[in-house]
Amino acid sequence: MTLRSTLAMTTAATLALTGAAFADGHGTMKIGITQNNVGVDSYQTTYEKAFIAAAEANDKVETVVLDAGGDVARQIAQMEDLIQQEVDAIIIWPTNGEAVIPAVRKAHQAGIPVIVTNSNIAEPGFDFVKSFSGPDNITQGARSAEIMCDKFKDMGIEDEAQVVHITGQPGYTTAIERAKGFEDRLPEVCPNVTVVDTQPGDWNREKSQQVMEAFLVKYDDIDGVYAGDDNMGVGALNAAKAAGRDGIIFVGATNFAVGYEAMAAGEYWGSIYQSPVDDAEAALKTAIDVLNGEDIPFLNYFDTPKITQDNMGDFTKPVF
Amino acid sequence: MATMTRQQLGSVLAKQGILIAFVVFMIAFTIANPKFLTPDNLFSVVRSSAILGVMALGVTFVVISGNLDLSVGSMMSFSTIVVLDLHDQIGPFLAIPAMFAMTLCLGAFIGFLVGYLRLNSLIVTLGMLSAIHGLTLTYSGGQNMDIADKEGTWFSVFGQGAALGIPVPILIFVALAALLGIVLSRTPFGRKVYAVGGNGTAATFSGIRRARTVFTCYLISAFCVATAGLIQASRSLGSQNTVGQGLELEVLAAVILGGASLLGGSGTIFKTVIGVLILGFIQNGLLLIGLPFYVQFVVTWIIIILAVWLDIAAKRGKLWSPIA
Repeated sequence: MTLRSTLAMTTAATLALTGAAFADGHGTMKIGITQNNVGVDSYQTTYEKAFIAAAEANDKVETVVLDAGGDVARQIAQMEDLIQQEVDAIIIWPTNGEAVIPAVRKAHQAGIPVIVTNSNIAEPGFDFVKSFSGPDNITQGARSAEIMCDKFKDMGIEDEAQVVHITGQPGYTTAIERAKGFEDRLPEVCPNVTVVDTQPGDWNREKSQQVMEAFLVKYDDIDGVYAGDDNMGVGALNAAKAAGRDGIIFVGATNFAVGYEAMAAGEYWGSIYQSPVDDAEAALKTAIDVLNGEDIPFLNYFDTPKITQDNMGDFTKPVF
Repeated sequence: MATMTRQQLGSVLAKQGILIAFVVFMIAFTIANPKFLTPDNLFSVVRSSAILGVMALGVTFVVISGNLDLSVGSMMSFSTIVVLDLHDQIGPFLAIPAMFAMTLCLGAFIGFLVGYLRLNSLIVTLGMLSAIHGLTLTYSGGQNMDIADKEGTWFSVFGQGAALGIPVPILIFVALAALLGIVLSRTPFGRKVYAVGGNGTAATFSGIRRARTVFTCYLISAFCVATAGLIQASRSLGSQNTVGQGLELEVLAAVILGGASLLGGSGTIFKTVIGVLILGFIQNGLLLIGLPFYVQFVVTWIIIILAVWLDIAAKRGKLWSPIA
């Protein structure tokens, strides 16, 4: 028997014991989290606050809250720190779905269950992950397509409408999945709507505004804009307003306060309501459930409903 | 012009290689998509480029004086976030000068470290790139900053307004370029900047106070960054904390593309403006052609390197010149 497999068996045994201990309600769980880039946007900032609040509310839980600052190397180092500190579980918000896999595997080999939050890691790493807690981005993209298609049908332009698509940062899993969900679903619900162009807005309002300016020059007829999040959607809206182009249907995702306000002003049609508070609480709950030995699905999604001008009264304005 | 000799033509070409590269690209893009050369598109590109451009004007001074400024991107995020926040707290009248004062303090600090403590500008400004980003995040608590009353503020004039049919950001860019162009090429201070960057020792022996010149260059750079932040904030009336992230390299690329030497002592405002426009029009042109965006990254930098080559080749009078 090799040293490695001995170690693996020992850690597995220890884990089974600690798992049982938590199930009996003894001892505190020490849960470490390494986040992507707190402060880069309000979503992540609100997430961190909600996570800390939820952990403090639970006296069985002790947390180590870290932030990678968007830096893959730093996140890998933080994973190693958490392994060294022998936390009971690690929650990771990947800075990069591919590059963090070796670090995730290392935690797995050390017998520490890993929960991925918000954006999943790439498929080769799934074996080393207990559960993914987060939004279903493919469904979100699909729902955005449905929102847009329904609106086109109301307007009676579902047979001729032309759409431009502004995606998030290239290479970022959330961006890829939302784009895929949208592009797969739109032809199913509105087969005659064409997506005439797709360009990245890098999750950045200013960049998205520039992209939309170019689209407006390039295409005389744009009926709809799908943006990978509201921040970019509002950037595109600004460009259309500046160019005096009315009547364009804007649909986004991750409803931001600016998107909510633009919807209230009647300039922005719809989005997907995704609460960072739900996201953070779901991640913590998933980690606790894993440690308590409960059976949870590998893809543990929390619901992100459609929001449009018609039903926005049912939702409170996002805090970010 | 008709009597211009071949030799004269050659020397004009040598001086304006980058201008020629610019014209070549403009023609190529226009052939690819006729909409490229419409007034609407030209205005929208120059307006977008104005933010980068205003920053590049200041960095031109720093580079000619023989230093670098990599902090301008995060400094611009800082200015944008601060002015948006103060707008709702103390009103635009006070917010704008307050933001300029805070940004100039940052510039003065960098100028002090580089000019008076004689620290390496690459390290200082690379450090400030991170430090100022942290400062911005601390200031905002990581939240997006948005002006509450977007319709009712005159603050939008700097980014969205127009005078005589010309967008205000373009007017600011042109006015600042003209002003700084005159300062650099027609005043004693401008000559000192070239002297300090070209040959520091000689400058000292001529009685130039190098530290003060370098310090002033960083103040000018910070002033330009504050102006860019003002345009940015006014344009979208709301911002993320990372709005300027990565701009430092684009700014530097524009300045170097314009022909300023990283070693200091050469460069002009006019050529920096051309460098800025080339970058702006490449991005827009590739969008209009509709290349897939992964390819755009590659093509953008091929064009930039091509432009540098055309410029250098025109100066040397030959295309092929291996390191001997």
